[in-house]
Amino acid sequence: MSETPATAAGERGQRLPGWLRPRSIELPGSGRMRLIETTLLVLVAVLLAVATVNDLVRQTHVNHRLIADLHTWRVYTGHTYHNLSVEQELFGRASQREVVCGNTSPGAPKARTQLCLAIWGPVVNGRRTVHGGWYLPPKSEDVRARRYGCFGEASRGLCTR
Amino acid sequence: MSVAAQSERAPAGSRSEWLTPALASLLALLLLAATVEIVLDGAVGHSPLIPKSPPIAGWLQGLGERLGYRVFLVAILASAGAYAGLVALGRRSTEAVISKRWALILIGALHLVVFAGPVLLSTDVFSYIAYARMGVEHGLNPYTHGPGAISHDPVFPYVGHDWRHVATAYGPLYTLLSYPFAPLGLKGALWAMKLEALLASAGTLALIWRCARARRLDPVWAILVVGANPLYIVYGLGGAHNDLLMLLVMMAAVSLTLVNGSSPRRQGAAAALVVAGALIKATVAALLPFMVLARRSLAPILGALAALIAGALIGYAAFGVHGVDVVAALNRDAAFVSTDSFATEIAHLFGKPGVFPIDHDLLKAALVLIILHLLWRTWRGYDWIAASGWTLLAISVTSTWLLAWYILWPLPLAVISRDRRLLVATLVIQGLFLAHQISPLLAPVQ
Repeated sequence: MSETPATAAGERGQRLPGWLRPRSIELPGSGRMRLIETTLLVLVAVLLAVATVNDLVRQTHVNHRLIADLHTWRVYTGHTYHNLSVEQELFGRASQREVVCGNTSPGAPKARTQLCLAIWGPVVNGRRTVHGGWYLPPKSEDVRARRYGCFGEASRGLCTR
Repeated sequence: MSVAAQSERAPAGSRSEWLTPALASLLALLLLAATVEIVLDGAVGHSPLIPKSPPIAGWLQGLGERLGYRVFLVAILASAGAYAGLVALGRRSTEAVISKRWALILIGALHLVVFAGPVLLSTDVFSYIAYARMGVEHGLNPYTHGPGAISHDPVFPYVGHDWRHVATAYGPLYTLLSYPFAPLGLKGALWAMKLEALLASAGTLALIWRCARARRLDPVWAILVVGANPLYIVYGLGGAHNDLLMLLVMMAAVSLTLVNGSSPRRQGAAAALVVAGALIKATVAALLPFMVLARRSLAPILGALAALIAGALIGYAAFGVHGVDVVAALNRDAAFVSTDSFATEIAHLFGKPGVFPIDHDLLKAALVLIILHLLWRTWRGYDWIAASGWTLLAISVTSTWLLAWYILWPLPLAVISRDRRLLVATLVIQGLFLAHQISPLLAPVQ
C-alpha cells in the first residue's frame, strides 16, 4: 500500500503536451517562493496574534466594567441577586453605558417587577455611577413601551410613562 | 570519545530513554483527566456552557460539579498544553514515544468519555434533529422553513435562539441522511447523532492512518494529532457536529487518490466523493479544483459531474429548487458575524466597532487571491492535499462567522500533507482561538 507515484499519472498523461502533464515534483524556483510565503505567513500570524491579544485585553476591560455594574446594582438596591441582565446596546456598545436589570423581589429571572439602572462613568471603589432608571412589569423585556416609573437623566426620552 | 566520557553520557542517555515515555504518559493522563472533568461537570447541567438538553447523561450526575467558565477554561487550556506537549514529543523523537496500542487507547478513551457525556458547547445538533423532524414528522421542507414552524415539537425548545427561524444551510445529502433519525424520538435521535459523530470520527482516523502510511509518514503520530486534539474532541465530537461526517467523506476521497494506485476509476470516485461531501457541507468542495489540477485527467471531472448531477436530481426531487440552491445558503451564512472571528478581532484592533460590509468584500477578495495562488502552485507541482488544506484554513480565517469546529477542517489534511507549515499554521490558529476565549478566566463576571 503506497501512494501512487506521480510518474504513473504522468505516463497516463503522455498524450498531453508537456506543459499540461501532471508533475511529480515542483518546478524549479519554488524555494524562493517558499521563502516569500513563509515570510507572509509569519507576518499574518503576528497580525492575528496581536489582534487576539488586543481583543482579549479589550474584553477583559469590558468584563471589569460589567463586574462594577453588577456590584453597583446590588449596592444600589440592597439585593444580592445573581440573575441580573446587562444591556449594552441601548446607548451603543462603544458608549460604555450599560443598563442592568434585575428583580425587585426574589424569584426566577424576570419573574417579578424588575428595576433597571442606567450606569456609566469611571469605576471607583468597584462601582460606577447610576444616572437614572426605570421599572418593568414581571415577565417583560426591556422595551420602551413597557417601561414605567422612570427617574434620573438617563431615562429622558426612553420612557413613555 | 574517551571511556570516561562514555561512562558519563550513558546515564543521561538511559535517563532520556525512560523520561520521554514517562513524560508522554503524564501528558496523556492530563489530557484524559481534563476531558473527564469537562464531561463530568457538564453532565450536572445548569451551565452556560452546556446547551439545554433532554437528560441523556443523568447517569454521570453526582460525580462532578456544575461546569463554570473557570473550570472549563482551565481544563481546556490544560488539555491543549498536554496535547501540544504530546505532539512536540512525537515529532522530536526518532523512536515511537507512544506506541500504536497506547495511542489507540488514549484516542478511544477520549472519544468514549465524550460520547458518554452530554452535548457540549453547541445547540447545533438540535437544529439537525429539528430539520429531520420537520421533513419526516411534519411534512415540512427544511429548506424553506426554520424550526420555528414546528414550535410544538419536543425538539423546538432545545434549538438555539439564533437558529429558530433559519432554514437549513446543510447539503441535501446530509438532510436525507439525518431523516432516519427523526422517528427515533428526541433522545433516540440525539444518541443516533452522537453515534454518527463517533463513527465518523473513527472512520476519519482510520483513513488518516491509511493516507499517512501511503505517504510514508508516521501513522501513529498522524492519528494522535487529530484524534487527541482538544478542539476536535471537546468542540467537534462533544457537539456531535456534522463537520465530522464531512471530514470522513473528505478523507475517503483523499484516500482513494493515495492508496493502492490511482486508476481513472478511483480518480473519478474520489472527485464524486468530494461532491458528496459538499452535499453534506459545502466547504469541502474547495478540494475539487486542486484534485483536478493535480491529476489533469478527465476522470475526476467526469466523476464530479456525475455526482453533481445525481446529487442535484436527488436534492431537487426531495426538496425542490431550494434544496439545490447552495449558493443562497452560503451567501446567507457569509453575512453572519461572530465575536470569535479574526475579522472581528482585526476590526477591533483598528478601532472599528465590528465588521462592515466593505470588510466582507475585502475578505472575499483576499480569499480569492489566496486560492488563485494555491491553484498556480498546484499547477507547478505543489502538493494538492496541502493546497486544499491551506484553502480550508484560509476559509476559516477569513470567515466573519468563525466557530471552533471550523478550524478543524484543515487538520486531517495537514497531518498527511508534504508541507509541515500547514500543520504549524493550523495549530497556531487553534491556539489563538483558544487564547481568545480566556477573558472570563482573567475577569470572571458573576
